Amino acid sequence: MKELLTCAMDIGEQMLVCGAEVHRVEDSIQRMCLSMGAKRVDIFIITSSMVVTVYTPSGEALTQTRRITGTGTNMERLHRLNDLSRKICTSPLGVTEIREEFQKIQETKVYSFGVQCLVCAVIAGAFTLFFGGGLADALVSLCVGALVKLLSKICEKTVTSRIFDKFLCAFAASLLAFIAMRLSLISGVDKVIIGNIMSLIPGIGLTNALRDLFTGDHIAGLIRTIESGLIALVIAAGYFLSAILMGGV
Amino acid sequence: MGKAEILQIVTGFLGSLSFGILFNIRGVRLFWAALAGFFSWSLFLILAFWIPSEPVRYFIVAVTVSIYAEIMARVLKTPTTTFHMTALIPLIPGGSLYYTMASLFGGNLSNFLEKAVYTLELSVSLALGIVLVTAVAHTITRLRKPAAK
Repeated sequence: MKELLTCAMDIGEQMLVCGAEVHRVEDSIQRMCLSMGAKRVDIFIITSSMVVTVYTPSGEALTQTRRITGTGTNMERLHRLNDLSRKICTSPLGVTEIREEFQKIQETKVYSFGVQCLVCAVIAGAFTLFFGGGLADALVSLCVGALVKLLSKICEKTVTSRIFDKFLCAFAASLLAFIAMRLSLISGVDKVIIGNIMSLIPGIGLTNALRDLFTGDHIAGLIRTIESGLIALVIAAGYFLSAILMGGV
Repeated sequence: MGKAEILQIVTGFLGSLSFGILFNIRGVRLFWAALAGFFSWSLFLILAFWIPSEPVRYFIVAVTVSIYAEIMARVLKTPTTTFHMTALIPLIPGGSLYYTMASLFGGNLSNFLEKAVYTLELSVSLALGIVLVTAVAHTITRLRKPAAK
């Protein structure tokens, strides 16, 4: 039972790390533990910590906790973890089988860095056009998008704070936009900056945060709301700094 | 529908597709997820003929897109988040947030407050739409197969 619980914790932890909602993870862990033969399961999860206690049929209580640091978005892995947890619920697997499946899922491929750079450039360019920018704006935005992705990759390795990382990206994006304006490649910075902050701003974060709040996961919701607010603030700070350096708007 | 709107729909779709790749969505799911972004913005623009208020349209789009997400999640057996996130991409108030920042920087405080509240209003409309559908969907699932307690 103890090892089965560890497996369930591993799966739940990875689901959170891949960007699953708190509600989903709680539900999955509960279902998995019950199908493994637990009498009762108590779960408390917030975005940065998990606590699970299961009661075995013999009356013993087992508790495990996990500290969650750093979450991202990896839908393919989440999809496969979700599949695995469903499989465990319908036909109980042994510990070794679960471990093997879990290991395979951990090796899920991600798109190569080149593709990611290209995609970030496309996002920046597309949204510059989306918000009414011209062709020149879009081309500048495209280049800035790729450079910002490169910077965020470097930050990932060297800067430990995710918030500071956003600050640097927003600063670089605005600075490059201002430089492009000085070189008279573009007539205004606004469209280029908007295109580039689309991939930085916590739009989805804030929406998820409000969703957690309204569905009853108050603490997780509050943490996410604060996080989104902070990110919005540092993006503004990055923009301000470059605007001041380049002598106003 | 003018040229600007068509350009928005195309670039919105491209944006959703690109974000889908960043979120590591793969295979058929990527296609359906990106399509959600296409639908959401098209619907937003079409609704403009009848409803001038942006927050109200955001709410309606959020409800529609969430229903789409719940259906696709069940068909393709994958978490609903996959479709929610990509569908919402064109709706992220990036422009609104930028102009909020710019007016704060320019020292125009009343303009800043107005823009900040507006950005928040849009986000809340989105979240409410999603929450409504999610709550209904959970209730239906619960009724169909009661959770083991």
